[in-house]
Amino acid sequence: MAVLALEEAVVAAIKPTSIITEQAPLDQSSVNLGLMGAAMALQLLVSPHAAMADSAPERGLMAFKYLDYLDSQPGSDRIRVKAPSLLVMKPLSSEWSMSGTYTTDTISGASPAYHTQALRNMHDQRHAVELSTTHYDALGTQTYGGSFSKELDYLSKGIFYAFTKSSEDKNTTWNAGISTNSDQINPTNHIVANETKQSLDLIMGVTQVMGIFDITQLQVGRYQGQGYFSDPYKAFDLRPRNRNHTTLMGKWNHHFESNQSTLKMSYRYYDDSWGIESHTVNVEWVKPLQNQWTVMPYLRVYTQSAASFFVNADSSGLPFPPNPPLDATYYTEDQRMSAYGAHTYGFKVTKLIGQDTTLDVKLEQYQQRAGWRLGGSGSPGLDPFTAKTIQFGISSAF
Amino acid sequence: MSHLKCLKILRGHWPLIGLVGLVGLLASCTSISPVAPWEKGYLAKPEMTFEVDVLDQNFTEHTYFSKEGSFGGAGVGGGGCGCN
Repeated sequence: MAVLALEEAVVAAIKPTSIITEQAPLDQSSVNLGLMGAAMALQLLVSPHAAMADSAPERGLMAFKYLDYLDSQPGSDRIRVKAPSLLVMKPLSSEWSMSGTYTTDTISGASPAYHTQALRNMHDQRHAVELSTTHYDALGTQTYGGSFSKELDYLSKGIFYAFTKSSEDKNTTWNAGISTNSDQINPTNHIVANETKQSLDLIMGVTQVMGIFDITQLQVGRYQGQGYFSDPYKAFDLRPRNRNHTTLMGKWNHHFESNQSTLKMSYRYYDDSWGIESHTVNVEWVKPLQNQWTVMPYLRVYTQSAASFFVNADSSGLPFPPNPPLDATYYTEDQRMSAYGAHTYGFKVTKLIGQDTTLDVKLEQYQQRAGWRLGGSGSPGLDPFTAKTIQFGISSAF
Repeated sequence: MSHLKCLKILRGHWPLIGLVGLVGLLASCTSISPVAPWEKGYLAKPEMTFEVDVLDQNFTEHTYFSKEGSFGGAGVGGGGCGCN
């Protein structure tokens, strides 16, 4: 699920409206980043929290990115995804802009039928389009958009609306957003047919400038979904037809004047009606170097409890999956519903070429292990899961 | 007290800990002094905004959505998929 970030509201709160003083000089990487400025403008447009709330971006932006993803467990590769993605943003006037993204995922490899056992080959291709338009006024933005995503066995259509409103001094920006999706599911194994799923997403938050070096953001989200949530390709998988969750997200960016670097930190708390509770901490350090290079190492730590209806692995019955308890109304043996922890390590490098073009490369490794769960024990009998990602990108203002 | 004991005590109280942290952040928001427009040079740097690359963000969110049991919290919009 591609998610439009809401967080850019902060730009509305921080955009300098006049001169830059000696207290807070803009260095070369800030002043000359014509592309970065356009990139920010693009995000404003794509995001329900369009930034630079006083006017639409002056220039358009085209961006292309390519993702190559491979996951595995000991002794076996699992899923490979190759995904080119394109983004175009164009200002329509001083008050309006439009943005669109197109992504296609080619997915191939093998996925476990239960726990980390019985890998079965699969292949699919997803096409996803998202369009939005944003209106800018003196202290805020309004964004209207829609999304469409199609796979061999899955069709999703969605609409969304989001707004931001800043205080007169632009030190505080409030935001809210709503989206709804309607999905149709027709598995290729015909275990079910013409199943549907509807969901409603609400979010609201505030972005606050804390000082000349600090900015924070809080977001509260609520999701309500009903319909078919089971995985038709897993053995013994019957999940509730309702799923609700609440999220609390806090972010904090701090700039170090001494070395001109920035530390970006976030924490998300998640709690859902299936009994899954998770905590996610992200830390990213952004360090501009000479000649318009920037390096961004980052770390993510994640931990979750198991769904209340998760059935633990039992090696004594292999190669057959364990039977769910006789009195179980719902059950799943999907590794993603188990209790585990996960670590992500990665870094991204960007290079600005001239005034208008940026190249970027990102390398990342992700690992899930039951033993890494924090605040409790992990689900037993599951193999570790590893994913490696490489990503290339180019963007240019026009 | 060992770290293990600390973790055991904290076990089951993560939501409360998170809420306290968030409330603390909110409370601190109310006591800060306003920053003038001419003091926002550092805040205007691209890396000081909360997002700088939409396509990267979309890839990242989609990957975690398809591989983990929890999702959401960053925004609204985007299409669903059969990957989870």
